[in-house]
Amino acid sequence: MEEIGKNESIRVLIDTDGVVVAEGDIDLAGGPILDTALLRVENTEPTTIDLAAVEFIDSSGLRSLLAASRRAEERGTHVILRSPSAGVLRLLSITGTTDQFHVTGVAADGADR
Amino acid sequence: MTTADTGPVTLTIPPEVAMVRVGRLTASSIASLAEMSVDDIDDIKIAVSEMITLLIQSGQRTAITLRFETSASTFTVEASTPSVAQNLGRNDIALATAVLDAVADDHEIAFTDDRLMMRIVKNITTAATASA
Repeated sequence: MEEIGKNESIRVLIDTDGVVVAEGDIDLAGGPILDTALLRVENTEPTTIDLAAVEFIDSSGLRSLLAASRRAEERGTHVILRSPSAGVLRLLSITGTTDQFHVTGVAADGADR
Repeated sequence: MTTADTGPVTLTIPPEVAMVRVGRLTASSIASLAEMSVDDIDDIKIAVSEMITLLIQSGQRTAITLRFETSASTFTVEASTPSVAQNLGRNDIALATAVLDAVADDHEIAFTDDRLMMRIVKNITTAATASA
């Protein structure tokens, strides 16, 4: 695993298969680090993001995922969200963006309260 | 315990992205004191995160003060900041509004006199009221 970056919100790694692994919160602070990792793996098709350890996401984090989806679509591929928590799934649902991704696996929800 | 007993809680934060988490966890703690349900606390965390994000993105790099108030039936968060509305993209507001529509029972986003004012209200569902 290569660590791409981390701060108080998030830690983002890329594993040996080119999967982007996010841990923590994807918010205004975490989104830019995720963006950096996603841009690094865009030669990998499809782009896979492991969200099993993501405890929180808001619309600024969702924008990072949607931007990756748009770029993938332009390349004729797609983004796989692997093991999203219930919180991630809920945000996709309430914003009507679930169809923008291929979702695989469901993790137990982790909350940061 | 609600802030009807203690008075409202105010939190002033610098307009830094790291402070979104601070505001979110403060809201979560106050909601927990008010004995809100787990689902409602999750909603409050999302709503406050959206609120602070918009205030930081539209603001003029000045401190942001949030006011948290709980009663027996509602959790209200209010905040405003001097702002530049043009700093916000239409898509940013639309996505945040879609989220707030889902997680808050009422919300208001208003640009007035070069300020952005936001208010969110969440009805309190405790374990007791949910089973009633």
